[in-house]
Amino acid sequence: MNPLSDPQLQQTFTGVFRLVVPEIALLGTACAAVLLGCFRNGRGLWFAVSLLGVAGAAVLAATVDQPAPPLPTAASIVPDAAAGFVRWLALAAAAALLFLSWPEVDDRTAAEYYGCLLVATAGVSLVGRANDLVTLFLALELISIPTYVLLYLPARTRVNQEAAAKYFLLSVMSSAVLLFGFSYLYGMTGSTNLTAVTAALARANAEALSPLALVGAVLVVAAVGFRITAVPFHFYAPDVYQGGPAGVVANLAVLPKVAGFAALARVLGLFGPDARSLPFDTATQLPLLLWILAVLTMTLGNVLALLQDDVRRMLAYSGVAHGGYMLMGVVVASALPDVRGAGPTVGGVEALFVYLAAYALMTLGAFAVVLYLSTPDRPVEAIDDLGGVGQTHPVAAGAMAMSLFSLIGLPLTAGFAGKLLLFVGAFTAPADTAAMRNLYRVLVVVAAVNAAVGAYYYLRVVGVMYLRSPLRPLDGSRSRPTLAAAVVLAAGTLVLGVYPQPLVTAARQAAPASGPPAGATAEAKSP
Amino acid sequence: MSDPIGLALAILGLPLAAAVLAALLSWTKLAKAAHVPLVVACAAAAVLGVMLLLKVGEGPDYRFVSTPVTWFSAGHLTVNFTVTVDPLSSVMLAMIAFVSTWIAIFSAGYMHGDGGYGRYFAVMSLFVFSMCGLVLANNFLLLVAFWEGVGLCSYLLVGYYFEKPSAASAARKAFLVTRIGDTGFLLGIFLLWKMGNWNTDLTALFDYLKDHPPDQAELTTACLLLFCGAVGKSAQFPLYVWLPDAMEGPTPVSALIHAATMVTAGVYLLARCAPLFVMSPDAQAVVAWAGGVTALLAAFLALAQTDLKRVLAYSTVSQLGYMFLALGTGGAVSPAFAVTAAMFHLFTHAFFKALLFLSAGSVMHAMGGVIDVRKFGGLRRLMPVTHLTFLCGAAALAGVPLLSGFWSKDLILESLTGAGASGRPYATGYFVLAVVAFLTAFLTAFYTFRAYFLTFWGPERVPEEAGHHAHESPAVMTIPLVVLAAGALFAGAVAEPFTHWFSNFLGHTPSLHQAEPAEHHFDWTTAGVGTALVVAGIGLAFLWYRKGTEGEPAGLKPAFALSRNKLYVDEVYEAAVVRPAGVLAFLSKALDGFLDALARLIAAVPRFVGDLARPVQNGLVQFYALSMALGLAVFLTFVVFRVAR
Repeated sequence: MNPLSDPQLQQTFTGVFRLVVPEIALLGTACAAVLLGCFRNGRGLWFAVSLLGVAGAAVLAATVDQPAPPLPTAASIVPDAAAGFVRWLALAAAAALLFLSWPEVDDRTAAEYYGCLLVATAGVSLVGRANDLVTLFLALELISIPTYVLLYLPARTRVNQEAAAKYFLLSVMSSAVLLFGFSYLYGMTGSTNLTAVTAALARANAEALSPLALVGAVLVVAAVGFRITAVPFHFYAPDVYQGGPAGVVANLAVLPKVAGFAALARVLGLFGPDARSLPFDTATQLPLLLWILAVLTMTLGNVLALLQDDVRRMLAYSGVAHGGYMLMGVVVASALPDVRGAGPTVGGVEALFVYLAAYALMTLGAFAVVLYLSTPDRPVEAIDDLGGVGQTHPVAAGAMAMSLFSLIGLPLTAGFAGKLLLFVGAFTAPADTAAMRNLYRVLVVVAAVNAAVGAYYYLRVVGVMYLRSPLRPLDGSRSRPTLAAAVVLAAGTLVLGVYPQPLVTAARQAAPASGPPAGATAEAKSP
Repeated sequence: MSDPIGLALAILGLPLAAAVLAALLSWTKLAKAAHVPLVVACAAAAVLGVMLLLKVGEGPDYRFVSTPVTWFSAGHLTVNFTVTVDPLSSVMLAMIAFVSTWIAIFSAGYMHGDGGYGRYFAVMSLFVFSMCGLVLANNFLLLVAFWEGVGLCSYLLVGYYFEKPSAASAARKAFLVTRIGDTGFLLGIFLLWKMGNWNTDLTALFDYLKDHPPDQAELTTACLLLFCGAVGKSAQFPLYVWLPDAMEGPTPVSALIHAATMVTAGVYLLARCAPLFVMSPDAQAVVAWAGGVTALLAAFLALAQTDLKRVLAYSTVSQLGYMFLALGTGGAVSPAFAVTAAMFHLFTHAFFKALLFLSAGSVMHAMGGVIDVRKFGGLRRLMPVTHLTFLCGAAALAGVPLLSGFWSKDLILESLTGAGASGRPYATGYFVLAVVAFLTAFLTAFYTFRAYFLTFWGPERVPEEAGHHAHESPAVMTIPLVVLAAGALFAGAVAEPFTHWFSNFLGHTPSLHQAEPAEHHFDWTTAGVGTALVVAGIGLAFLWYRKGTEGEPAGLKPAFALSRNKLYVDEVYEAAVVRPAGVLAFLSKALDGFLDALARLIAAVPRFVGDLARPVQNGLVQFYALSMALGLAVFLTFVVFRVAR
């Protein structure tokens, strides 16, 4: 039969639209905003419309039935559980970002600002479900390009513009590297479909390792490393975080990171149905490279954060360090099961998902407070600017302290749950492959030391807020939406810290089964 | 609402709601009404508790376990939120709710006009919540959460008058000393977790260990570690030192937390874990001996105390030792019998000891805060109600026949004589312990009535501090006294000796269930000897103290001085533990200085590295791009060479 008239193939192609209905809704809202914004612009109007758009996308995501495409090797979009998790995370982050960027949005550019935000959100969501190199690249660009615009929109000073230009140049460079890597993968396997690519590479690796495929993978890791601020691709972060508008920086700290980890997991086949056959397993040395990347990233991020006196630069380096922690999840996810078939007791992807959600909560919370306390006349720049906030703005200070405690990873915060899962996963990862041996445990020790170093600079901020008296009291922007976002995010951090199980369960269902399935131990117990 | 789990959760939820409400009220102008939520919640919980008791008593199921809701899980560790209702927990729950209700009402009068009124009732409500949670928890880590919760509330309430240095330090002492025990408790839990197929749910763990008998040595270790927690919380030797100091808190707090409920948590824990302990005779012997030593030691210390509340505090320690004595016989006698004896004493003790404390509180209230028995006397005409209720409590504590203390003490003595005659391992030891228990009974009767005579007999003396306060307390305080006095007189007789309701009910607890029913018969010899000793004790006290002043014969002065000075235990601890620790601390400080310098050096390393790495962040975008490209090149070389090799 002519393969082109295969009904399954046709069904696969036509069914794609059904799988991205929420993203279409987001993009449609964005288009409406950008087009109609020419006639009538205004912060309140387009805020409401964008919020409606996000809510509509959420409703569609919850209601529209998403059948798996019959031919995964031809589908450019796969609606698997991991994709669902990334989508919900993106939508939730977008809702939070809408609220917290309120004081920063100008009446004249509101439509463009919110439109770009929605496009970036749609991009993150699409990255989670892209199953094709081209789709993946487009989805990633769907995040980058609006971000350039966003960085430039409220730019009024030279510092702002410099930050925007830097981000643009380096981002374009990383996109080029990404395409270069994709071209290798395509050239090696003759397909752009990720299911086909990973399957072909896994088959090929079983016979002999292919250095060229590895070159492609390393290029992809390097390009994605830019988005997850892995050392040495992190250079832009401190400068852009410091110079960019705070609301956009909050976006930059969360959305590209979620997308970057999703993209990395997709290309490395970690979302695949069978976690046991990976295109780049430990024998290919790629996990070792990721291990090195994780150690470098968390260590350098923390060490440099120690030296910062600027809140935003500190948060930038802290973001770098947390990128390193999350890379642990990727390293663990690519661990091979040991001879008895047992993997880590907490899957890497599962821990990564929990950590991503926790990271989004606590980072957005911290940025929301910084935004709330900043006014154009008196922006919060140095850490000392926060002196005495504990007395003058008790609610904001409480939210900030909650976020910082979570970033440290104190118990009863979401950050603790995330770190605990990552550490337990890495600690129990099987150690009988030649390349890794006890490196997983070394990784846990390094991460624990790093977490201790991190506590120093976070606690310093808490100390300044509560123990120092204000030098020049901050006015506070009285932006209620931002404060509401900060409080909700801090409350979420606390709730998910006290009762993390719903998040853990959601992440476990989203992650492919790895190691002894969680159900197996539970079944062993119940009788 | 009618199912037991729903009732139990309602009982748990009521005090929590009261805590939130009282905390909110204390911020408003309604702070004076902060006692209302606690009183209402406790009263409702008491009603629900009785309903629960009846429900559980119906059978044929005697154990209800709520569907586990996973609190958190990571790898092998799964912690569930799950509660269990069985005869053991329902009796405890009803008792706690009932006693707290009356103590809450008493508090409303006692704390009237105090500055921290709202804070007091908020923390009290939180305490009742934590205590109920502790009783219901069916998961070890959940239990620990509530266990620490009651510890926290105890800390907050002992240190209620935190501006007083002695109160602040007593609170700290209570917290730190119990923390020593808690460390063992946690270690024991994780040992059990490892032994029990990674279960942390009590019922699942016990069921598993029942089917898979663990290694004896490991089990004994685990049991002893759990017992460490009980020793700290229930103020047993050698960690009892915090309890007398904890009397710095308001008196109703002493009555509720340090007499009726929290300190019995250790007893309850061991009763709950009885299935484990009976498998380890060695651990049981340790429990019994620790109980025996504590019972005798604390009774001796109570002999000559002049602070009325401290007499009662040592008496509490002594009576808790009694309960552990009974628990320790489980295995030598039927576990159901041992646990029944301990729990029954816990039950009656809650009534009469709460009553004694509240009566002492009433005296203290009238005497303007003075509690030294040398400074007042002959109060029986001044405070007739308090006098009578104190007498009821004292008689019950002494074990005067037919009062509630008599029946429960008799059960414990019987368990000990039974264990002594059982021919099981350590039988001789149990026989010695039975003698110890009889001796303790004598001392108990003596010191209780010594305190009674010194306070209420002889010529009327009132300290200056009392001022115009020196009169009977208001009805809001005397009514709880009367109710609890009725409990102290009759609760024991109603519950056990004629109907055997209590032992039958507790015997249904599945974890205590045994093939042979716990045969239990009233032993006239034990009761007779016990009664003779009690009468002797009271008689001696009457002989020496009926004039309301200290009148012990000169020959015994040294012994009394020893008792008054607490056997110099604090001094011994000071010399044996604190001083060496001080020397050690000095040496450590020197070492610490060195380590500090070292640590600073190490801490400087990240900064140093940071300083080294900092110039790389030079702000030039060309340089950034170059670094990225170089990094990529290094990675490529690394991977390709590693693979190609």
